[in-house]
Amino acid sequence: MLYNVSHRTTYLYSYPVSVGEHVACLKPRSFSRNKLVQNKLTIDPQPSNLTERIDYFGNILSFFTVEEPHKVLIVEAKSQVEINSQANSATSLSLPWEESARSLAQDRSDVGLAAYQFQFASPRVRLNQEFASYALKSFTPGRPMRDALMELTARIYADFRFDSKATTVRTPPEEVFRKRQGVCQDFAHVEIACLRSINVAARYVSGYLRTYPPPGKPRMVGADASHAWISAYSRDEGWLDMDPTNNVAPTDGHVTLAWGRDYGDVSPLRGLILGGGGNALHVEVDIEPLDV
Amino acid sequence: MIGDLYQSPLRYGGTYEESSVDGITPRPHWAGLMESLQSMGPAELAFRWTQAEQRIRENGITYNMYGDPLGVHRPWKIDLVPLLIPDAEWRFIEAGIIQRAELLNLVLEDVYHSQSLLKEGLLPAALIYPNPAFLRPLVGVKVSRASYLHMLAIDLARSPDGKWWVLANRTQAPSGSGYALENRLIVSELLPELFRTSNVQRLAPFFRAQRDALAQLSERNNPRIVLLTPGPHNETYFEHSYLAKYLGFTLVEGADLIVRDRCVFIKTVSGLEQVDVILRRVDDDFCDPLELRGDSLLGVSGLVQAVVAGNVKVANALGSGVVESAAIMPFLPGLARHLLDDELKLPSVATWWCGQGSALNWVVDNLQSVVVKPAFSSLGMEPVFGSELAAAERERLIERLRCSPHEYVAQEQVQLSTAPVWENEALQSRSLVLRTYVVNTGDGWLAFPGGLVRVAEASGSVVSMQRGGHSKDAWVLSDGPVDTFSMLPPRNELVPLRRASLVVPSSVADNIFWLGRYVERAENQARILRSIIPRVHLADDAELGSLICLASCLGTRSARLADGNRGRPSFNALRRELLALLTDQNRTDSLGATLAEVSRIGDSVRERLSGDMMLLLSQLSSSVQAQKGTFLTSYTAMLTKCLELLSAFSGMERENINRGSGWLFLSLGRRLERAIYLTHELRHVTKPLAVENWAYLERLLEVADSTVTYRTRYYTHLQPLAVLDILMADEHNPRSLDFQLDHLAELYAKLPRNLSADLRAIQDAVSSLRNIDLQAITQRINTPGSYPVEGYVEVDQFLARLQNLLPSWSNNLSSHYFSHARTLPITMGID
Repeated sequence: MLYNVSHRTTYLYSYPVSVGEHVACLKPRSFSRNKLVQNKLTIDPQPSNLTERIDYFGNILSFFTVEEPHKVLIVEAKSQVEINSQANSATSLSLPWEESARSLAQDRSDVGLAAYQFQFASPRVRLNQEFASYALKSFTPGRPMRDALMELTARIYADFRFDSKATTVRTPPEEVFRKRQGVCQDFAHVEIACLRSINVAARYVSGYLRTYPPPGKPRMVGADASHAWISAYSRDEGWLDMDPTNNVAPTDGHVTLAWGRDYGDVSPLRGLILGGGGNALHVEVDIEPLDV
Repeated sequence: MIGDLYQSPLRYGGTYEESSVDGITPRPHWAGLMESLQSMGPAELAFRWTQAEQRIRENGITYNMYGDPLGVHRPWKIDLVPLLIPDAEWRFIEAGIIQRAELLNLVLEDVYHSQSLLKEGLLPAALIYPNPAFLRPLVGVKVSRASYLHMLAIDLARSPDGKWWVLANRTQAPSGSGYALENRLIVSELLPELFRTSNVQRLAPFFRAQRDALAQLSERNNPRIVLLTPGPHNETYFEHSYLAKYLGFTLVEGADLIVRDRCVFIKTVSGLEQVDVILRRVDDDFCDPLELRGDSLLGVSGLVQAVVAGNVKVANALGSGVVESAAIMPFLPGLARHLLDDELKLPSVATWWCGQGSALNWVVDNLQSVVVKPAFSSLGMEPVFGSELAAAERERLIERLRCSPHEYVAQEQVQLSTAPVWENEALQSRSLVLRTYVVNTGDGWLAFPGGLVRVAEASGSVVSMQRGGHSKDAWVLSDGPVDTFSMLPPRNELVPLRRASLVVPSSVADNIFWLGRYVERAENQARILRSIIPRVHLADDAELGSLICLASCLGTRSARLADGNRGRPSFNALRRELLALLTDQNRTDSLGATLAEVSRIGDSVRERLSGDMMLLLSQLSSSVQAQKGTFLTSYTAMLTKCLELLSAFSGMERENINRGSGWLFLSLGRRLERAIYLTHELRHVTKPLAVENWAYLERLLEVADSTVTYRTRYYTHLQPLAVLDILMADEHNPRSLDFQLDHLAELYAKLPRNLSADLRAIQDAVSSLRNIDLQAITQRINTPGSYPVEGYVEVDQFLARLQNLLPSWSNNLSSHYFSHARTLPITMGID
């Protein structure tokens, strides 16, 4: 499946910003089933410099500085990505989950170490016993990894209410867990906290989700949103993506942008500004499937 | 025998006493010191000790304790008696700390590149990956000369059997070497004979090596090196400014630096200047709010980018904090064998990292005999002494340990050795920790001979400067003659001649400008107050008006002087007001508040001022604080003393400071402030002034120190116009308005990136002033006794205009030269 993705962020400041230094994580990374065909980053006003760097997790970061005074900043990323369907093997065929988790600490191969680092608490995801007990209801002894993972995802989907007003980007997972409401980012953080609390390596995935218009209606441009889900590591099957917001195992409707330990590693646009006063943020995302 | 210096025998418990085996007989290498202390006797020691305390106060050596009522400016505490380390023993310690430095440096190189130690299982990944000090953006980034650790500190303790153990490795921005240097200067001065005859190894070669090593980090020939400090509120700020001055580096805060196009620049009054090397005293993750900690206000946005691009070198390398964790200690012997093919020479104190199953079980079983600490310092947990826990607390701790074992380490509680301390006029025994330093010269490692000795507050208690402990000098006694090098270059070495001095960061120029303004303000306030106070008691009602007029020059509103009942000005109200103007710290217009500002600003630019100037500033702020009471007349002497000190300061300013940009801004501040006061004072002369208030003119001359000039010209005949001529128009009077404006124009012309519009405005003001024909006014006013306002309209209009212009010039200076140093960036996008 080929997608055209456009992600446009507009910052409106109440006072002119004299200098803005930014890091964008808006260029989709390429890997087996997620191939970046092309990408273009347009910034207005024109930045005085723009450099790209691959971060520790393999994501593509764009650094830029806007030095002319501005009250509006527009960052637009247009990408074309080709998605191959993720294989969805029978859940009962995977290994018991404990084997996957326990032996990861002993696996000192490059792949093992790369996965192992996602087993620990990270700046935005602290671990505790409550997360562990919630997870253990699904991760019962000997249960196949994928089976347990799908049930945990389904329980979060059922137990938590989607509410875009209930949380902010800063809301810690503990609070989301208590309130049982939030948005995709919050559900991803909660599921990650649950998994890591029982020593399952899990990472945060940022990206986009294909949406379907109501039957008979045309697709509305710009009505989509950026999305987040999780990926958990299984020793025999590798990374397994799960989307707790929609209770699905992604197939070909999820476009991956980047991944990291939590939102902090992959926030789409962050920075430091001089001046500006208050600001208003406006994000427009559009995902257009090209070959239906 | 030396027993009479002790109140009790030195030994206590089963600990090792550094100076003696039995508490009475000194160890051989202590014999000389003990003999000499004894021959001096308690009286002489007490005398020398007061000398030391005075030196500390004069040099302004402070250590800021967080949450301490003394706050900033807590005097550094140093002991008279050095810790003595014999040559052979030092060579053992030296070899041990150098080996450890080399080892930790190799570990860092591995962790930030191949991570082969993790793959081979020599270092658990669970010790690195979850550690917030492991800075992922720095992985794979080349470090100049593989010098991850430019300098590190290693804390040592001696156990009862006499062996030295490592308590902690400080690998990001170790503090204390500057205090150790200051300790040396003071103690060697207090015990000069002993120091001369003891072959004490000198410290200067260490600092020379440090300076050279930093310069060599850059490929440039004459690299610009800055010392990055978190600022005056940091606990060791004194040391930052002291080292910057001693090593010749520019002291900067994060806001002084800026990254453009992946290069770091320092914002100076003359523009941006590139920085090549940063010696940082800011913790790892605070160094770059863009890529590390978004909430850091101490760092430089974009620094990581500049480091990755190789355009700036940071010492110690960003990310070096990852080996500071005590959790690494159990692995060091294995790492030494693997990386150095050698046994670890200096052992670490017994440490268990709970991330290892067997260690966790041992810790849980033996909790009463260990201290539990966070494995990653950023977890912000205080050490927990297992023996002090109640049963419930024990259970909670064990649950935490089992939940995330890799986040905790346990260490054996160490029985520290003790050494004699001079306290309460006798020698007491106190536990100590020796902080040693090693610098990476690029070709090898050099140890600081000795170190900073930290001594517990009371016998047996925890050693921590943060908890109010003392410090000591440490003397490494050489068997032979020592290298007596000082930081001065040898006489036969040719030094390239340089005229330009250190760059002046905008924030420093800002502070210096305000130092100039506040010093001048203090002088004006003191002069006005001194002129009013003696007259408050003598004056009759008739003179009250003139005094109130003068008081209004201090910014006092007439409402303050109104008596409660009658609503009219009264002497009592004036007395109260004057007392407030002298000492009330809560009023920004008081002399006390001005001097507090002088002292605060002086402190933040201390590396730019000479020791003598700093001494004057500290005496200034204490002079007004010392005076108490409501008896107004008693303040006259204080004011005179204060004015003496201020004159001494301005004398030094004129005669001793190099005429660079720094001096320029100091003078600008002074001239502007004096012009502001003068304009205010002179406007009263151009307004209706009752004849009985003409005494105001006399006061004004006194305040402007121009009484003598006036008398030689006009005898005692008071005339507003004559006063105006002397205080406004006389270009030769350094206290006239003309003189201030003329000098301002001269100073503005010298400014880098000059403010041409304001320069023109000042020149215009000078010519307007000179166009005012006071003689013509005299002729218009025929009756000398009257005070017709019309004659002064022209003068008043000029002064009114100037009253608006002066603050605007000051504001323009701020926004043109300083403002960018003050704006703090706002983080966006992460919340």
